[in-house]
Amino acid sequence: MKRLGCRVFAVVCAASSLLLATRIFAEENSGNWFGSLSHLPVEYTAEDTYVGGGDVERGPNKSVRDFEENDSIVHLVFTPRIKPGVLRLGAEWERFSFGLPDGAPLPDTLQSVSLVMGLDMQFSDSIIVRAEGQPGVYDTEFDNLGWDSFNFPFLVGGTYIYSPNLQLVLGVSVDIERKFPVIPVAGIRWKIAPQWLLDAVLPTPRLQFEMSRDVSLYVGGNVKQTSYRVPDDFGDSHGIPRLNHTIVTYSEVRTGAGVDWKISPIITATGEVGYQPYRNFDFYRADVRYHQDGGAPYGMISLHGAF
Amino acid sequence: MKAKMLNLQRHFSVRATGLLLVLLVLRLGLTTAHADAISELASFSIFGKVDLGQLAKSDVKTAHGPPMSNPRFLAVQSCYVVPGSPNQQIEALRRWDPTRHRELKVFLHSDLPLSPTTANFEKLKDAPGNSSVRSFVTATQKLSPELQISRDEAKKFSAGAGGGGGTMPGSVVGFWADVLTARTKSFVSSGMSGQPPYDHAGPSIRASEEVNGLLREQGKIRNQFSGFLGATGIGRGAGSLKPELYWELLDVDDQGVVTLGASYSRGGAGGTYQATDVLYYASGGYYVALTLYQMWPVTVEGKPSTLVWRGDMVSAASLGSLHGVERLASESVTMKNITKAVTLFRRDTSGGR
Repeated sequence: MKRLGCRVFAVVCAASSLLLATRIFAEENSGNWFGSLSHLPVEYTAEDTYVGGGDVERGPNKSVRDFEENDSIVHLVFTPRIKPGVLRLGAEWERFSFGLPDGAPLPDTLQSVSLVMGLDMQFSDSIIVRAEGQPGVYDTEFDNLGWDSFNFPFLVGGTYIYSPNLQLVLGVSVDIERKFPVIPVAGIRWKIAPQWLLDAVLPTPRLQFEMSRDVSLYVGGNVKQTSYRVPDDFGDSHGIPRLNHTIVTYSEVRTGAGVDWKISPIITATGEVGYQPYRNFDFYRADVRYHQDGGAPYGMISLHGAF
Repeated sequence: MKAKMLNLQRHFSVRATGLLLVLLVLRLGLTTAHADAISELASFSIFGKVDLGQLAKSDVKTAHGPPMSNPRFLAVQSCYVVPGSPNQQIEALRRWDPTRHRELKVFLHSDLPLSPTTANFEKLKDAPGNSSVRSFVTATQKLSPELQISRDEAKKFSAGAGGGGGTMPGSVVGFWADVLTARTKSFVSSGMSGQPPYDHAGPSIRASEEVNGLLREQGKIRNQFSGFLGATGIGRGAGSLKPELYWELLDVDDQGVVTLGASYSRGGAGGTYQATDVLYYASGGYYVALTLYQMWPVTVEGKPSTLVWRGDMVSAASLGSLHGVERLASESVTMKNITKAVTLFRRDTSGGR
């Protein structure tokens, strides 16, 4: 037995941080699978990003100059273990605030409040699948909410665990209000060396260096794209009537470097600075698009963890 | 097996009633034997009724154990069929050499007598010069807080003592030879309960309490193996069964780890066997790891075979920090590793799949 025994655990802890990822054992017959509900595991994030003055333009003659951005996120998800896998049930709030000059034909607030409903399922010892939706309201100021502000973006993705050091990710993101409703996603998570991890998976691809057990440095990006409903009179009040009650898909890309500091087993603080090279307000149904003209520096702080 | 018997029945259905009766009786007998094994398997394991015929033709069947309240704990169960009797399996397991398979990342393996001396750990000097071993040496020389030793053991380290070249300096070899010798002697005389705690840095952790916790959270498995485990050093005291002792230098998450292990086996009624393999000490990576085996003799396609249930359990500090999908992924990796290890074993010992 000694020859075949416990050493299989040698790499048991090496496969953390799989982003997309469970197993349906119809034959399992023991264990209190809902027992873990008595201690509800939680993951949380509280994050704020400040982006300095940037510019967007529409064609050669129309632009919005030197406006700042603040992006705040609060995310709380319970992750109890149930028989089919890990349930993900919680809520998320995100608010973009833009310091726009008077008369700018862009919404100064984009805001969403959504439920997080998902399940991580293990289909084999090599494949973990995540299905997760975020039904909620995606609007601006929340001052005149209607059913049209409701949206249900979701993703389905699978992780193939080739080895503890290498995982491949494939998935699709679906948002029927987006210009391109279905976007395929592929990525790789590769532990290049004991201290180096390439986590090239959207929306936050990273190259990470583990300085110590509690501190990691990284360079990477953050890709955001969400669709919001603007108010009924948005177009009228901004001089473009066809923008009334339409959808704006807001996209941005941030690239930067940061540090993760594990303050305690349940709290990690992250600080990141960098440059925002891409930003786009796309009222695609009205054929109005303001795209990046000048990038901007940004800084982000975040507290996150799981327990 | 079942399918073959059914075919036989159809083939001979027009022949003499006597032959049919013989076949029927034979089949009933086999079915009963299988049914006992399968029912017993279903009674304590995560697996329900398994199809023996299918299992014999397939790879290892793995499943994660029931969720446990202690976040440090993880359990995976597996079952498979191998040719030969349980007794032959036990012998094959004893003979199997994991160091032949680099992917299992066991750098050194050595059996130990019941009264070991520091000389039994001299092979440490021959440790390969890889990054895992180098980080093990560095951690030892710095008496890193990640080292799982007792305060008393930590006091005995002297960086200047001993000489020698190679990957592992004499002082490091000497320190670990002393620690491992003392811990092995303690295990032989008092079992796991006599092991010093891991309290060099941080809270005191006792391997025996970790094993008890693992078994307490899996009541059916504990009941299935309680009599057997009570006769081993895993229970209270040294136990009545004689252990097969060994030590290893292996890689755990890119870190070299020295570990002490003990194996036990015992035959039961009807040719069944219970066996266990416990890693009761580790210098890092995990606090304790326990593998349990239940083996039943079965007949598959007319050949004597063994239905094996295997339960792997581990307690590790690093598991406590994994949540949600990360934990799921860890279980997947563990299942994958078990499948790999069993597949290699089957290939080496039976020319199997």
